[in-house]
Amino acid sequence: MTQDYGEPIPSSGELDLASDGAETEGANAEPQPGELTETQLEALLFVAERPLARSEIAQLAGVDREIVDACIGDLQVRLAERGIRLVESGERIELATAPEAGRLIARYIGADAPRLSTPSLETLAIVAYRQPCTRATVERIRGVDSEYTLRTLLHRRLIVELGRSETPGRPILYGTGFDFLERFGLTSLDELPPLEPEIGARLFDAAQAEGAGAG
Amino acid sequence: MTDTAARNRMSSRNDHTGVPPRPGVAPQVVFGDGRVASATHVRLEDFDGPLALLLALIEARQLDVLTVPLGGLAEAYLDALASLEGDRLGNISTFVAVAAQLILIKSRAILPRPPKTTAIPLDDELDPEAELRARLLEYRRFRDAGVALGERHGVDRLFRRDAEVATDAGRAGARPPERPPLPVSALTGALRRLASVVPETPLPAEILTRTISLAERTAIIRAALRGSDTIVLQELLGGVRDRVVVAVTFLAMLELSKRREITLEQAEPWGPIIVRRVPGVAESEAEIDESLESFA
Repeated sequence: MTQDYGEPIPSSGELDLASDGAETEGANAEPQPGELTETQLEALLFVAERPLARSEIAQLAGVDREIVDACIGDLQVRLAERGIRLVESGERIELATAPEAGRLIARYIGADAPRLSTPSLETLAIVAYRQPCTRATVERIRGVDSEYTLRTLLHRRLIVELGRSETPGRPILYGTGFDFLERFGLTSLDELPPLEPEIGARLFDAAQAEGAGAG
Repeated sequence: MTDTAARNRMSSRNDHTGVPPRPGVAPQVVFGDGRVASATHVRLEDFDGPLALLLALIEARQLDVLTVPLGGLAEAYLDALASLEGDRLGNISTFVAVAAQLILIKSRAILPRPPKTTAIPLDDELDPEAELRARLLEYRRFRDAGVALGERHGVDRLFRRDAEVATDAGRAGARPPERPPLPVSALTGALRRLASVVPETPLPAEILTRTISLAERTAIIRAALRGSDTIVLQELLGGVRDRVVVAVTFLAMLELSKRREITLEQAEPWGPIIVRRVPGVAESEAEIDESLESFA
């Protein structure tokens, strides 16, 4: 029930990730013309103690999706300097503590982050940067069977299943959710440190030309 | 199966070691004859896949992935492969596949090829070296991204409200107990209510026979009849909760009736039992038989 989904799949129309949660878990209140203020949104998220889908909030407040989005944006700005931040993972948002407070809270909770192995980290990096991606994508890049590693990451909730691809075999699509963002101190996927695709590709082209010249 | 792989490796290596590498093809990587001594020592358990292993070999030699002739790494790779543990059989085929690719690359570099004047590698036939290098580069991107992620893992993490986690923290002493402490008055009040509900502890049987005797109850009835000629048994026993006392008093009453000291009247079943003193009859001094045999 609390399972969250990461980025919505832009290419696949079949995956209606957000709405099902809103319909099944959402309030039984009739959608009615209402209002939604930053204050209300903040209070709602505070009480919810779980990620809420944007559509769910729209339904609860009885306002349009655009208003919810705008409200979320405003709240995000207002919270940027506070100890509580608005974390977004695709369709869903939640409140979490600020990264600057992480060490203090960790001391309070006594939380110890389990170490992640190198294979786990590189698999996680592939899923995080290439999501939604299939196991085949991970294995092509790593050059090795990655079922176990993916299963471990799933178990630790560092990655989540987003749905299934429409390609033959309908492989599972993996992505990241709130647990990933929280554990790596990110309030959204936009804060992922940039990969450096350009440099690698450019140098590769140069090397190819050079290699061809030598051969 | 590792042995088989090793044997295959030996044979394939023999195919190539005799041929001196063409100058300009693999000058950066020179493998000495003492293969074991010169082999790069890598702890294989650190490497989950063939690309990771190959990349580690390149980096251990401080070579540039972009320019190193990959064919020159074939032997180092095969050496590392030979020390692969047997429990990695599930992945061995992927390692061998890369090994084969390396050997192919090396053979291409060594063997004379029909002169290709222009550098157009893309069309029909993909250059295996370029392909492998591209895979290495892509793999490296994500490996490094993974390392970067690992550095921030759990460092400045975010926390959401989570009652369970907070409670766990409370167990460690950081958080006061979830429930407010009970006020003392609640405890004393509960104790008082409990005391009124729980019946008095019944006394052991032998003590009963001594404390509640027919003689004693007889004396009580007689005493009551001294005050008035008529009493009602139920009234006499009004405050008594103990059934044994009631029963013994009833027996005492019957005893007195037997001795003609009193008469008994009861208008209806369960109705009041009226005890009337018989005038003029002296209280008998005879000892009351506590064994109840006279009732048998």
